[in-house]
Amino acid sequence: MLRPLPGSEPARVLGLLDAFQAAEWAGAEAIGRWIVACADVRLRGGLRVIRARDRRHAALAEARLRSLGGVPGARPSRDLAALCGVVADPGVSDRSKLALLLGRLPAGEDARLGELVRGAQGDAETQALLETIVDDERASLRWLRRMRDALEREGA
Amino acid sequence: MSAPEPEREWVIRFLDDLRAAEAASAEVLAAWIAVCALDGLRGGLRVIAEREAAHAELLAERLGEMGVRPSAQLAEPVRAAAVERFGSAQVSDEQKLALFLARYPDDAAATRPIADVLERLDQDLETREILRLVAEGETATVAWLRAYHAGLVRPALAPRG
Repeated sequence: MLRPLPGSEPARVLGLLDAFQAAEWAGAEAIGRWIVACADVRLRGGLRVIRARDRRHAALAEARLRSLGGVPGARPSRDLAALCGVVADPGVSDRSKLALLLGRLPAGEDARLGELVRGAQGDAETQALLETIVDDERASLRWLRRMRDALEREGA
Repeated sequence: MSAPEPEREWVIRFLDDLRAAEAASAEVLAAWIAVCALDGLRGGLRVIAEREAAHAELLAERLGEMGVRPSAQLAEPVRAAAVERFGSAQVSDEQKLALFLARYPDDAAATRPIADVLERLDQDLETREILRLVAEGETATVAWLRAYHAGLVRPALAPRG
């Protein structure tokens, strides 16, 4: 199989998709374990939607990667793996998980998501795929922030 | 005067109807993707189709937890006509976008039925939050397709030098 040269545009898109699919699979798995231990029915309801979407995002990114001739091989970064470990831990409270998760995402998270989309410039299908996925990610973050605020108000 | 219908009854009916609509929508989108000529549109449609399928799956799962077997189905002639039209290579992507968007004069139109249910749903909070995020997904779908359509139409409207 012909492989794109490292640093070339196709190689950049393949790397982006590979890293993204690995992060989404890891996130979906961690959220799945959070759901099992989640004490708040409202939070559980939303987490179920987020997990379902993350799984599909991962599958879409993986399928796109393969259609471009790539092979998934990336692993989540150490930082993300550590975050997933806390999110999946049944001994950590829901409030703490929300605070940690949202605290680790800086105010400029929106810019990071925008960068993800720009990273696929030159490949219209991948770029639109990521742009639409990012809409879901933004909705998930908005909802998680609302839940964090609600739980804090209630002192749960 | 008859007593108001218990929440569980109307929630089940709503979830099942919505599940059937989302499943049919995923099927129609899959047919469109198969013949879509525009790379960018195809990429967005892939995510939107998965979004609809995920909604259908979640709603079916929720119904199962409520002890209900999903049974609602879109009327077959309606489903078949939509699959045929959106799966046709003879109908342009621009026409399909216009057809889809004509159903939703604004982004909120797609979620009005869900928003009405959210207002009334005060016992089953897990279902309420599932529906809240499903509604956000629907809004994102209409907004993205509207923006894409506007981008397609805009060059034609631009004055020619």
